[in-house]
Amino acid sequence: MAYERRWETRRRGGRSAGDEARESYYGVPVIHRAPWRWEIPTYFFLGGIAGASYVIAGIAHVFGGDEERPVVRAGRYLSLAALIPSPILLILDLGRPERFHHMLRVFKVRSPMSVGTWGLVVFGAFSTLSALIQAAEDGLFGRGTLVARLLLRLPSRAIAFLGQFPAFFVSGYTGVLLAATAVPLWTRNYLLMGPLFLASALSNALAAITLILTVAGRTSHRSLRRLERFETVVMGVEALLLAALRLNSGKTIARPMHEGRLGRIYRVGVLGTGLGLPLLVQAPGAWLGRRLPRGVTVLAALLTLIGGALFRYLIVTAGHRSADDPQATFELTRARENGSRRS
Amino acid sequence: MSTKVIRDQPGRTGTTGARPGAMGFLTDTTLCIGCKACEVACKQWNQLPMDEFGFTGYSYDNTGDLSGTTWRHVAFIERISDSEGRRPTSMRAFQSNWLMMSDVCKHCVYAGCMEACPTGAIIRTEFDTVVVQQDVCNGCGYCVPACPFGVIALDLGDGRARVGDHKAHKCTLCYDRLRDGLEPACAKACPTDSIQFGLVEDLMDRAKQRVADLRAQGVEEAHIYGDRAVGGTGGIEGLNAFFILTAPPEVYNLPAQPELPQRKTIPASVSTALAAVAFAVGAILSLRRK
Repeated sequence: MAYERRWETRRRGGRSAGDEARESYYGVPVIHRAPWRWEIPTYFFLGGIAGASYVIAGIAHVFGGDEERPVVRAGRYLSLAALIPSPILLILDLGRPERFHHMLRVFKVRSPMSVGTWGLVVFGAFSTLSALIQAAEDGLFGRGTLVARLLLRLPSRAIAFLGQFPAFFVSGYTGVLLAATAVPLWTRNYLLMGPLFLASALSNALAAITLILTVAGRTSHRSLRRLERFETVVMGVEALLLAALRLNSGKTIARPMHEGRLGRIYRVGVLGTGLGLPLLVQAPGAWLGRRLPRGVTVLAALLTLIGGALFRYLIVTAGHRSADDPQATFELTRARENGSRRS
Repeated sequence: MSTKVIRDQPGRTGTTGARPGAMGFLTDTTLCIGCKACEVACKQWNQLPMDEFGFTGYSYDNTGDLSGTTWRHVAFIERISDSEGRRPTSMRAFQSNWLMMSDVCKHCVYAGCMEACPTGAIIRTEFDTVVVQQDVCNGCGYCVPACPFGVIALDLGDGRARVGDHKAHKCTLCYDRLRDGLEPACAKACPTDSIQFGLVEDLMDRAKQRVADLRAQGVEEAHIYGDRAVGGTGGIEGLNAFFILTAPPEVYNLPAQPELPQRKTIPASVSTALAAVAFAVGAILSLRRK
């Protein structure tokens, strides 16, 4: 692997060894990039939806009226559906998948991955329980059977409320996990990563719930509009956080997000398709009360989901690129005269 | 690249947070002749497979980088041109225009890889070195980007998927040899004593004396890499395997003032929790019963 990377860096610049030697050690990366493959950004996307749709369902359940029942229902099912592939993806990504249970032999507060594993276990229990309660309410376990009566007797509001904590955790911890590394793009933006991942998870979950409800067509227009209003707010915040990330990174560290193929994915996919278009389409409907054709709502939701998936892919891949760039690492770790560091 | 001389910092230069009795390396790059005996000795003792055979095409360094199967790596830095791009016309009396450094795991006093490890596979031994327990590691790879020095790596078998064991590997400071009272293989093999092994406190005293001697001989750029001033900064509190360098650390592909990545965990968690509260309030306001 190391060999491949060296040739890559040599070829890309097309510069003399003298040039490279002056700026770094022949362009060899200072740190090693994370060895993660497609499973990790996919998990970030699905895990975010699982956590955030539980959040929406729980808050609609505890604070909303009867009108929000379809939202609660869709959110509970969606949460479990998005959660089920998550551990599978995480185990597949391991170098030694058969040893996945070694994660469960310790609990380390300082390791976001350890805390995340346990958070996922706890959230799994809540997500499963709430989905089962919903299934019992929908009569999937039959009327009056022992299982159905048992599930219906559980304090579902209290469960929904308590579950908010692991649900928010699962939606946002992945940002902290990336921030606590030596990768320039991730660690330079350590205060922004968690909020950004939360915002992306929420907007994706809201889009997915809107999509389900619109296609199923059994929701009041007012209820849908409430979801869309909140979604536009979250997407606005997401856009601001992305702008802050750009400013905070500086030119060298942000380079992978703006150059070449990744730069096009960022501008066209994440900003244009994922945030710009849906905002443009949804904002008038959500805030001015203009009723949108169903097809447009569905399209906007789909675009948001595509943008969300691309964002997870982009932030991971751009992180790899910034890890491969010695100048980005040096930008972060350059010696300062008094020994104090800018963080 | 900055060619600024690394200046001493009172109270930090030459100090380390190494625990009493900690064992480590002092790699004095002014003595390195680039023979790569350390690389070979390391591979042989630890029974590490060979890397892909090839030429980098840029220097005598055909190893390239530390990896899961290369735990010592000799860097060859040719001072081809100065910061303005001019070719050198003179040569330092004590060294050629080549700088050579045998890079290795730093065995940080507070180690990023060890704190990141979610299985507890990475441990601190009785010699205060950092070792990966191979029977515990499950190859999650989180330690890899958590090392500020680019040391630890998964053995993925260079793309030949079935060759590597897909677990994390790095220098063990020859834990097995230390248990038997022997010095690590690389230090044993080094013909010029560029690699010295011993108690960190003794080595640090020796390094300070050596830097003072070098400076008296006119090498004013000589400095320690791996104390609290340079290399062991930002919560790392020193490196048990440290170096004497005669150019800024970046020239050797080393970060001048790295930081322990886990220092970001608490502030990042707090900002995420605050954002969660804000989003929860937003969701309640949007979805509450009207």
